[in-house]
Amino acid sequence: MRKNFLPWHFSEHLKACIPLIILTFFFIVVPFSHKANANDEPEEFVEDHSHEDIQRGERFFKGLLPKGRKFEACVSCHNLSHSDEFNWNPSAVAIAVKFKEKDFAEFQSAVMQPNGKKMEASHKDFTIEEEDLKKVKIYLDDLAITGAHNEGPTINQIVIFLLLGLLMTFALLDLIFFHKVKYRFVTVLILIIAIVVQVKMVADAAINLGRSQNYAPDQPIKFSHKVHAGDNKIDCKYCHHTAEFGKSAGIPAMELCMNCHVLVREGANSGKFEIAKVVEANETKKPVEWIRLHNLPDHVFFSHAQHVGVAKVDCKQCHGQVQEMDVMSQYSDLSMGWCINCHRDTKVNFKDNAYYDNYMKLHDQLKGGGIDTIRAVNIGANDCMRCHY
Amino acid sequence: MKTYWRSIEELSNPKELRREEVREEAKQKSMLMRGDTELNAASRRDFLKTFGFGIAAASIVASCKRPVDKAIPYLIKPDEINPGTANYYASSYFEGNEYGSIIVKVRDGRPIKIEGNTLSSISQGGTSARMQASVLNLYDDARFKGPSKSGQEITWEKADEEIIAQLATLKSQGGKVVLLSSTIISPSTRDVIRKFAEKQSNVEWIQYDPVSASGILEANKKSFGTAFIPDYRFKQAKVVVSFGADFLGSWLSSVEYTKGYTAARQLQDGRKEMLRHYQFESGLTLSGSNADVRFPIKPSEEGAIVLALYNAVAKAKGGLVLSGVQSSVDISELAKDLLENEKQSIVISGSNDVNIQLLVNGINQLLGNYGQTIGLENPLMTKQGIDKDTDRLLSDLKAGNVKALLIWNANPVYDHPKGKEFAEAIKKTGLSVSFSERPDETTALCQYILPESNLLESWNDMEPKSGIYSLSQPVIAPIFNSRQAQSTLLKWIGADLNYRDYIKNYWKETQFPKQKNTTDFRQFWNTSLQNGVFEMALESKLVYSPEGLSQAGSQIKGAASGIEVVLYESVGIGNGKLANNPWLQELPDPVAKISWDNFAAVPVAYAAENGLKNEDVILVNGIELPVFVQPGQAKDTISVALGYGREIAGKVGDHTGTNLYPFVGTESGTRQYFLTSAKVEKVPEKVFQLAISQTHYSMEGRPIVRETTLDEYIKNPVSGNEIKAEHEEKSVTLYEAPVYNGHHWGMAIDLNSCTGCGNCAIACQAENNIQVIGKEQVRNRRIMHWIRIDRYYSENPENPKVSFQPVMCQHCGNAPCENVCPVAATPHSEEGLNQMAYNRCVGTKYCVNNCPYKVRRFNWFQYVKNDKFDFASNSDLGRMVLNPDVTVRSRGVVEKCSMCVQRIQEKKQLAKLEGRAIAEGEIKTACSQSCPGNAIVFGDLENPESRISKLFKDQRNYHLLEELHTLPSVGYLTKVRNINA
Repeated sequence: MRKNFLPWHFSEHLKACIPLIILTFFFIVVPFSHKANANDEPEEFVEDHSHEDIQRGERFFKGLLPKGRKFEACVSCHNLSHSDEFNWNPSAVAIAVKFKEKDFAEFQSAVMQPNGKKMEASHKDFTIEEEDLKKVKIYLDDLAITGAHNEGPTINQIVIFLLLGLLMTFALLDLIFFHKVKYRFVTVLILIIAIVVQVKMVADAAINLGRSQNYAPDQPIKFSHKVHAGDNKIDCKYCHHTAEFGKSAGIPAMELCMNCHVLVREGANSGKFEIAKVVEANETKKPVEWIRLHNLPDHVFFSHAQHVGVAKVDCKQCHGQVQEMDVMSQYSDLSMGWCINCHRDTKVNFKDNAYYDNYMKLHDQLKGGGIDTIRAVNIGANDCMRCHY
Repeated sequence: MKTYWRSIEELSNPKELRREEVREEAKQKSMLMRGDTELNAASRRDFLKTFGFGIAAASIVASCKRPVDKAIPYLIKPDEINPGTANYYASSYFEGNEYGSIIVKVRDGRPIKIEGNTLSSISQGGTSARMQASVLNLYDDARFKGPSKSGQEITWEKADEEIIAQLATLKSQGGKVVLLSSTIISPSTRDVIRKFAEKQSNVEWIQYDPVSASGILEANKKSFGTAFIPDYRFKQAKVVVSFGADFLGSWLSSVEYTKGYTAARQLQDGRKEMLRHYQFESGLTLSGSNADVRFPIKPSEEGAIVLALYNAVAKAKGGLVLSGVQSSVDISELAKDLLENEKQSIVISGSNDVNIQLLVNGINQLLGNYGQTIGLENPLMTKQGIDKDTDRLLSDLKAGNVKALLIWNANPVYDHPKGKEFAEAIKKTGLSVSFSERPDETTALCQYILPESNLLESWNDMEPKSGIYSLSQPVIAPIFNSRQAQSTLLKWIGADLNYRDYIKNYWKETQFPKQKNTTDFRQFWNTSLQNGVFEMALESKLVYSPEGLSQAGSQIKGAASGIEVVLYESVGIGNGKLANNPWLQELPDPVAKISWDNFAAVPVAYAAENGLKNEDVILVNGIELPVFVQPGQAKDTISVALGYGREIAGKVGDHTGTNLYPFVGTESGTRQYFLTSAKVEKVPEKVFQLAISQTHYSMEGRPIVRETTLDEYIKNPVSGNEIKAEHEEKSVTLYEAPVYNGHHWGMAIDLNSCTGCGNCAIACQAENNIQVIGKEQVRNRRIMHWIRIDRYYSENPENPKVSFQPVMCQHCGNAPCENVCPVAATPHSEEGLNQMAYNRCVGTKYCVNNCPYKVRRFNWFQYVKNDKFDFASNSDLGRMVLNPDVTVRSRGVVEKCSMCVQRIQEKKQLAKLEGRAIAEGEIKTACSQSCPGNAIVFGDLENPESRISKLFKDQRNYHLLEELHTLPSVGYLTKVRNINA
């Protein structure tokens, strides 16, 4: 006898609604439960300061106070949230973190007696009461703990997905119970289109899962490849010096930065704030924790040595116009299809490398004119076990 | 064709066993399905499907954020370290009396693999399974995390201060301090100990080996004037006679002996002569399995046989003929063979009976072997313990004469026959200090624990044979708060010197003047450190004298009646020191093919008479042991391995098997590793499950192992392999022949060189991140080893011929597995590899079923980060051993030998970068690199000049199941036995 797992008697048609019910649960309950958790966390305050102090500091920082000010608001240069536009100035959080452990006098002198050309220029007209500046410091100290309030991800997609779900529910209900819509094909059409769009959305998202083309996170230091590789024409391999013979291209060690920055202490764009972080990392012996951009899955074994050292592939082919990037972003999608297509097109320098001498049969064919070029795919570049083992 | 069988059940009733196996498989399948029958399968599945879609869609559309990874550079990058590139450092291994000169592979600061050092005359590039597995000991959670006093944490400063004060008081009172250590072969350490003894005064240093060689040492003291173990040179021998010495498995320096033995037996490149090996033994050991002629005897019979052999040789050579008991075995043929090969034979005995060893010395002297096949110039130093010393220590301890006991790398509470008395006696000392790296039965009773660093974290020097030196260097900073015992002793004597500088100074004073290559010490030191070894030829002034020989004959006792129990060191676990190593616990015993337990191996006839079968339980002198019916076990004997039954070893080693050390007897001051007149009775109705792995797969009566005899081989090199021509002639196929453009990787395995030691299985496990699955899953036939060593018996079950055959993925040109994969997860590569893409595999197991060689392994469970499989891979520390170049497989995918494709890729890369062809022998798979028998050769079949191409053209070469026309890339060379016609 066929027992039903579900406790109540469900009509066969209604079973189709189960995914929707589950989905609705996820989109309505899950975000709320997350919020509820966030509210549970105890709010942290800077010792001995009231909420009002922090709020007042925030107003000063954001330029709401003092009334009739003649200088730019702090926030106009020191971003509070992530912005798409590149901002050379240190962000509010970065300043907050830097001065968190330091006393007010140090903060005051840093603000009021600007250090370096760029800062002098921008802080020139800056006037503020000492009491008010203290409030700003309190606000920043609080900011160092709570962090910047990031805006959530766009929920357009989720809303569309949900609306489609609702539409489907109504269409189904109408189809089975209400029969309000005169023409049946309308509801059926709505149902079909909604399903197709939803499946497409899920499939697209699934294909992109784990891929991160154009990923350009904020780095702990506003390091600009444009300044280094573009304006100053430093060779890629000066810093990424294991690219030619190692699997990894390598992140330069802090001491390598100091080769130049032992002298270069102020940048044309960023002033002293960013470069000071490199110097500090060297002095405190705490290396900078960069955010990793290019992240292949664990089951992929990629070797820079093969591509840069042997095949002499130009860095730009995979990493894009790095010399123009102020913020480094992932240029290629690093998908398997992308790898394979390149292997199909890339010609192998077959004659000048004695390693390929043992490909006798291919050499004979080349000589005999059977084939004119050897491409990577011809010597097994697209074998599974070239990259997966 | 000869009939081969895997177990005694198969021999007696092959069809029934097969039926049994099929039943077992069906039972397992039904166990897997059972979950579904309880609920209505269809409706639950519907629910899961819809629920699954819901969650997947929800999480995908909500765009699950990928975690933010960090890239943290070096502050100051060391020149030689490049992320993602391995470094290799020479070092030395010495554990459980086994020495090896090793090369340690270090990836991104973590030692992950051990290889043999080709520059060492002892290792010659080979390792043993234990050496391979030792890298895992470094990442053992059970290790002490820091110094402690009576179970409470203590700082090093405080501990030093307290102990120095106590030692000073003892010194002023003249109290006796005993340092109990295992054999120490480090010259600088011996120097440190000497200095400590001088400073402290009234210090006795006792070296203690759980399985000692006291018999040989004391016999040589009589025959040559000094206690030493000679240097056996199997490579030069034509005849080897071994009395109970498992020299290929666990006796003294087995890697070195295997190297020499297989070199003297290999028949490649047209060689027509090979060493003949006679073995007298009780249990079927690795050496006995490889012997050409094997005599199963009781251990008590050995003396009489050695005496008879001595007399036969003495009669012919005009030596002193001794009277004594009569031998039960006719040795006239053997004596003839020995006399024909004077100066080219070796006679050895594993016995600890001084008289037997004296007779063996007499035989070797008469045959003129000393100075030829048995060297006296570089005696072996790896076992120096004299049994009488520990017995004296025990009585001293009991009498309260020992005021302070320092224990270093010794665990007498567990492995001394009177362990319990030791446990009581240790409590009587005023001060007990242990330098142990890890907890054991003895450390539990010590006041102070001052943990030693692992050998991969330590500086050391070693002298495994006189004149053969090697260095150890740390390849990782100490993981825990540990300190080398040498540094501790140096601190106690107030020397303000770290141990590395101490070794350096010591070498400057002692080793440096002995060489003439360089006058610059720094250069000498750096070269020695880089090479790992410094070897020099010595001259021996030792002269044989027949002292004690005449009495020896009369003191030999005749065979005892009743059942005798033989105690041996197993190839995997050894003396029990490494019991917490899951790789070694899961390594099947080379002959019995049982993992995770020791067992009582009983003879076939005895089992039949007493109604015993595998997994029954017997009571041997009051100790319960599971029964395993062992073909070849001598009549009236039972063999049981030592080293099991640890109580404080760690999560893996605790309570696996039974401790048999209390059975070890003492006869005229030396340990006897057998027990006479044992009382044996069956425990009715009791069953103890054993993890037996050889019966997992069957040969189904097909010629998988091919063998011949030397005489036949000389007459006709194809002998034993005639069927190959027949198969080739009949071969027809619908498939196109595979074409290889550049490389075709292949492997040749010489069955004549494979001794079956199991080193390759562990080397592969370490290289390829193969997971340990535990006893229950091994029983369920799910062992994950990519290379298994099949062991087949043939002929007489009371004394069978044994064949070993390593089997891994054969990388077939026409691979049956490839055609049946529904998702193309296992295609063929341009270079002849049968590839396995784990991320593509959906786990249908069609390939597993269609593989005629049964080499594919399925991940039935998640073995990593799973509390149900609480072995090495369940902790962050244990996972540090994983090779970052090999994917860690997840549940539900199939895996198998990849021919170490990561190594192929690495070397190809190097050759391309340097713009040159790959050199012969440049690429080595993990199994071939460290094989102590040089049995496995890897190479490029497309290169007609390569070693492997030559071996594939050898007339002994054949492939498994050629009739299936799978075109394997792995070839085997026929086994040849050297049996007198």
